[in-house]
Amino acid sequence: MNDDELDRLLDAWEPPPPPVGVRKRLRARLPQAEQRRFTHWRRWALLIAVASATLAISLGQSTDTQWPIQFTRLYDWLIQNIDIWRAGEIRDRVRLSDPKVYVDEQLVSPPNYGPAAKISVSVPGDGVYSIISVPGITGWVENGRIHGSVIEFKAGNKQVRIECNKPIVQSDLPVFVRHQP
Amino acid sequence: MPEQLLREAESGRQKSLMRLSDDHHLRLLRFAWRLTGSMADAEDIVQECFLALLRPGCTFNPARTPILTYLFGVVRNQWLKRLRLREQGEAPESIDSRTPETEAVRSELAAAVAKAIAELPESQREVLVLAHYEQLPLAEIAEITNLEPTAVKSRLQRARATMRESLAAFGPQTERSI
Repeated sequence: MNDDELDRLLDAWEPPPPPVGVRKRLRARLPQAEQRRFTHWRRWALLIAVASATLAISLGQSTDTQWPIQFTRLYDWLIQNIDIWRAGEIRDRVRLSDPKVYVDEQLVSPPNYGPAAKISVSVPGDGVYSIISVPGITGWVENGRIHGSVIEFKAGNKQVRIECNKPIVQSDLPVFVRHQP
Repeated sequence: MPEQLLREAESGRQKSLMRLSDDHHLRLLRFAWRLTGSMADAEDIVQECFLALLRPGCTFNPARTPILTYLFGVVRNQWLKRLRLREQGEAPESIDSRTPETEAVRSELAAAVAKAIAELPESQREVLVLAHYEQLPLAEIAEITNLEPTAVKSRLQRARATMRESLAAFGPQTERSI
């Protein structure tokens, strides 16, 4: 029996039609996804409510005509808090993605996770480099990118690469670095 | 794009996961059925496979593995896990859809092929099913089964040799005499 003849015999074994309702049964097993979406929506609602309350209190206490400046400050504060919250989400995704840290292509120890959404990497012989994805914080310098499942940044003259086993951002973001010798 | 759909699915969008399932579930179901011989088991395995994508410990990395290859690997691992549990007596025997009634309406040849494949060692069965029925290249099968491509090739050759022997009665000469 040659290869073609064997292939023809094997082809005689056809699968049965798929059972009816496969899709419906899979959908029924996805309660967690609904819950996540609700949680996401609830966070935003809470954030907007807090911001509105703060704005109302600030304007109520204002006795002069400086309220546009106060409003701008409040807006900046709100935006920065959204950025910090988003950075915290990214840090949590990194933590759950079995990250591998490479310094100049050499595998080093895994990162540490600090408060305020920062991630710290020990660079052999050069101390600790902390990173965060929040712009505008004094002492932090933009020096890398987060894209897909990878974070890349410069640590002195070395290249640091953190590889996660699944995507941590949907679009590219800048990385801000601070060195602690 | 599957990776984009997966990212959306991870953020909790049922709709995206269902689209991912729509794109791939038939192939996965067919693969799982050929490994288990039971459509009920196959459906359960494929559901587990999609649900696993939403779990925090999911190891899928789109930069390294195409989504379908990853899903084939998950189906295979689920099947092996069930086999082990069954060997240890910790899981019920599958309710095989191949009852005498359904067998009666299937051709004698199809039944013989199904029986011969079921009798192959697990390591040869998975390789034969992926190569012949799913038409996957050796490199992809190697990734799914965590083997070297040369080992996959060797197992495939052994599986085909065994199938030749098992199905010798249905070979061209015998067919002419029927």
